[in-house]
Amino acid sequence: MLLQLRRTTTKYTAITMTNLQNQLAYVWEALNRAVFIVLIMFVFVQLWTAVYETQGATEIAGLSLQATIWYFLIAEVMELGKIRHDERISEEVKDGSVAYTLTRPYNYLAYHFFNGLGETAVKMTLIFLLGLPLVVYYAGWPTVAPGQLLPVLLVGALAMLLDFFAFSIIGLLAFVTEDTFSFRLIYQKFVFILGGLMLPLDFLPGWLQPLARVLPFNLTTYAPAKLFVAFSWAQFWQILGLQILWLTIFGLILLRQYRWATKQLVVNGG
Amino acid sequence: MSDVVVNVNGLAKTFQVKQKAAGLRGSVRSLWRQNTREVTAVSDISFALQKGEMLAFIGPNGAGKSTTIKMLTGILYPSAGQASVLGFTPWKDRRKLGYHIGSVFGQKPQLWYHLPPEDTFRLFARIYELDMAEFQKRRDFLVESFQIADLLQTPVRKLSLGQRMKCEIAASLLHRPRIIFLDEPTIGLDVVAKQQIREAIRYLNEQEQTTIFLTSHDAGDIESLCKRVVIINHGRLIYDNSTSALKRQYLRRKIIDVRFAEPLTEPFALPCVETLKQGTHGLKLEFDGRDVPVETVVQQVMATKPTQDITIADPPLEEIIREIYKK
Ligand SMILES: Nc1ncnc2c1ncn2[C@@H]1O[C@H](COP(=O)(O)OP(=O)(O)OP(=O)(O)O)[C@@H](O)[C@H]1O
Ligand SMILES: [Mg+2]
Repeated sequence: MLLQLRRTTTKYTAITMTNLQNQLAYVWEALNRAVFIVLIMFVFVQLWTAVYETQGATEIAGLSLQATIWYFLIAEVMELGKIRHDERISEEVKDGSVAYTLTRPYNYLAYHFFNGLGETAVKMTLIFLLGLPLVVYYAGWPTVAPGQLLPVLLVGALAMLLDFFAFSIIGLLAFVTEDTFSFRLIYQKFVFILGGLMLPLDFLPGWLQPLARVLPFNLTTYAPAKLFVAFSWAQFWQILGLQILWLTIFGLILLRQYRWATKQLVVNGG
Repeated sequence: MSDVVVNVNGLAKTFQVKQKAAGLRGSVRSLWRQNTREVTAVSDISFALQKGEMLAFIGPNGAGKSTTIKMLTGILYPSAGQASVLGFTPWKDRRKLGYHIGSVFGQKPQLWYHLPPEDTFRLFARIYELDMAEFQKRRDFLVESFQIADLLQTPVRKLSLGQRMKCEIAASLLHRPRIIFLDEPTIGLDVVAKQQIREAIRYLNEQEQTTIFLTSHDAGDIESLCKRVVIINHGRLIYDNSTSALKRQYLRRKIIDVRFAEPLTEPFALPCVETLKQGTHGLKLEFDGRDVPVETVVQQVMATKPTQDITIADPPLEEIIREIYKK
């Protein structure tokens, strides 16, 4: 039992580490991509400074300009750093290498999770560090209290997991449709508008907010970013509850979908 | 009967080939509305494979070989029939079966592209939950068998196709699979690499009684490895017997190669005998043993001019296979 647990742990750790090593070959490319964050943060800063100025307000929906700037950095770190394994699954189906990855003794989705984990950690750190100087320059240091950091990290981790589940659902569609690009695009539009990537949910029109808050999109992006800039225990518990709810729903969907998808799978090539 | 490794019974696979419209709308619609065309890839094949057997599973392009392998390794659900591999139903017990089988697809890479093979080997050791000491012994054994010692530390992207294939096959053998499915493992390789791979596979089979399930379009692979041949065509099993029986059964054609001591002056001609080549001193003939007895041809040849050398050979296996495919 214990031995099996240790074997399972080393198995998935090895997957993470191998991918990480493989990614090192792409360091320059990753850096290149991460530089994008400096650009986009600069645009955000200019845009929101102007908005706050024309409004003549120090706070909009309870968020100061400083908080808003920090909000976007965290939201972008979450969004740009996420595991994008649906593309990888799609590639595997298209080039037929799923014939290998599906026959090895591990959980196929867990394989993809740990495969992406190392990359995500690197990407998130890189994006954060690159965006940091600019954000500190314009918005100062964050106000989050040390005691709040742990719950924020927890919500951040669950956000990542929930996002992984959502993209697993999209990824497994590749077993049938091969291409997932269209589905990803739709999902990302929802994240963009209802997930808080374009605006913090608090800035949305009043009638849209309750809906946006219970839908899963905001739980992967808005949730950690908002708690990071304006922590409240009430909102923390609400978000945590919703995250667990949606994780359960997506988890159940995935269980059924996996069984269905592997039956539908047609492996190309050969 | 515990030595039966593979047992296939009435296995069939029909593909619904989707005629998907392009673009987003096409993708979404293909989820429920499907314009499909049926393609029967494998229909009603049955055979069994014993422990330690080396089977050549051959057939022309599109015959259904890869489809069969995909069903036997559990990544494809059959449309009908049963199969058991090492006592498991592959598509139901895919993960459990995974510990005991290996597969190599000649056209698909499994090694991590930017890492040296050694790193992928280590990852596989973890994935298959190998004991590290055991793994190192195994790796050394395979490195020796495939002669890949000097390739282990080179990133895979810098290896040639042949070098990579040797590493790919070795990677699939790390966990001591009891059966290995090889789908065109020698495709695109030169004679030396082919030979090395064949030797390594044969050695493994001798040493460990690993059952080999091989598809190949290279008659050399089949001739040098497999005692038994199964041929499928259009998804149907059309032949299942020993390689030597295959030759005997179809070996009506003979090829005679002659060198004369004196130059030939006239074109050689004999009814029912095809002149493949004629030079000043050389002659190459092919004929069907049922039309003309070998003795008659040889006598005729020797009557033409004094001969220096004469060889009578069977046509290569390749030609026999071609004959069968044509039917
Ligand atoms: N993913 C697929 N979707 C639809 N039809 C397929 C698919 N894969 C294979 N087929 C069809 O099934 C038949 C058998 O294909 P398969 O790949 O098993 O042939 P094969 O014997 O391996 O041929 P080759 O020697 O060319 O590799 C072919 O007619 C092929 O068009
Ligand atoms: Mg094939």
